[in-house]
Amino acid sequence: MIITGLLCGALLGFVMQRGRFCLTGGFRDMYIAKNNRIFYALLLAIAVQSVGVFLLIDFGVFEYSAGSLPILAVIIGSFIFGIGIILAGGCATGTWYRAGEGLIGSWIALAGYMLMSTIMKSGILAPFNQRAQETAVLPSNSIAETFGINHWVIIIPFVVIVGVILYKQLTKPKVVIPSLKPKRTGLAHILFEKRWNPFVTATLIGLIAFIAWPLSAATGRVFGLGITTPSANILQYLTTGDKGFLNWGVFLVLGIFAGSFFAAKASKEFRFRMPDVKTGINSFIGGNLMGIGASLAGGCSIGNGLVMTAMMTWQGWIGLVFMILGTWTASYFVFVRPRQKAKAAKLKEQISAV
Amino acid sequence: MEKKLEVKGMVCPFPLIEAQQAIEELKSGDVLVVEFDCTQGTESIPTWAAEAGHTVTNFEQIDEAAWIISIQKK
Repeated sequence: MIITGLLCGALLGFVMQRGRFCLTGGFRDMYIAKNNRIFYALLLAIAVQSVGVFLLIDFGVFEYSAGSLPILAVIIGSFIFGIGIILAGGCATGTWYRAGEGLIGSWIALAGYMLMSTIMKSGILAPFNQRAQETAVLPSNSIAETFGINHWVIIIPFVVIVGVILYKQLTKPKVVIPSLKPKRTGLAHILFEKRWNPFVTATLIGLIAFIAWPLSAATGRVFGLGITTPSANILQYLTTGDKGFLNWGVFLVLGIFAGSFFAAKASKEFRFRMPDVKTGINSFIGGNLMGIGASLAGGCSIGNGLVMTAMMTWQGWIGLVFMILGTWTASYFVFVRPRQKAKAAKLKEQISAV
Repeated sequence: MEKKLEVKGMVCPFPLIEAQQAIEELKSGDVLVVEFDCTQGTESIPTWAAEAGHTVTNFEQIDEAAWIISIQKK
């Protein structure tokens, strides 16, 4: 049954690689390019998953309780995670799938991320993390439960809002985006060459995120897509030899790597690429911050940003907001300020030349 | 005039940022040729060029995970 994790992950890795689905880039571009397209695509993926999973819950396929909300840990952790993904050049899933494309920088980020998640979950920082999880805890994590309403009262208006946004996006006057000269035909062209519309990619990701629930629940792990805990579990298994750490999620993340590698190789987009020293160091620092942040927040951009949001939890939505604020803060220091400085220096040079 | 920008080894969004900076220094009608190997750039660079109103005169894959795009400034 655990093998379904591998398949689910491989599908996800494939779709993300071909769809160039990058949440880090999406969050960053909301600020530096004033472009919300990927954020809207994420909302679409959330909506697809949400409707599917709550239908399964209502039909009694499995039970799910969102538990309580350690609000301070979620806020601080998500913000740190947001800074980390900008430095690492990709979120947790993004790092897994770029590692599959042969980017050594992502291997470095991944190493830092796995190491720090393990340290936070079962290493020397576990007591600190435990205390953070017990600080400022609110009793209810489910938004519907807080207001004492049925979950569909939240889901249906959300789906309507996403529908309106989508309609506006799709009816916007289109600019033709230049594409590569096609060298293949038929299915091979669609799968390995063609540019995928982000909303098609997002729908597929929403469906995969939905399928993940029943597949994972069948193995006793009642949750959807998750990256951080499984990434830590790999290191825990490798260093302790305890098979208890092997679960559906571990195979999921390994599947992402494999699926992305396959997609990249088949599209002639795989090549080992070594970063320069600065990028390498940033990747490592970013990976470590991601590990600390995601462990504190109880999820990364997938666990909180895609899954816990679809479950209509405070953790998901508060996490998503602070994660985005974290990426904007880091973007200011990494992209915006250096550019302003360069411009100012150039202006000064021109003035002094005159 | 044609200007060449080699941003191989840079990860996204730096190839795009470099291209945006480079094109600012060109005159209308000049062509910026960008050689890059960041996969996500195949989406972000042509999208930016199209939305900014520039013309993409050539865009192709030249090797495993390596692309070249020519952008004529509007």
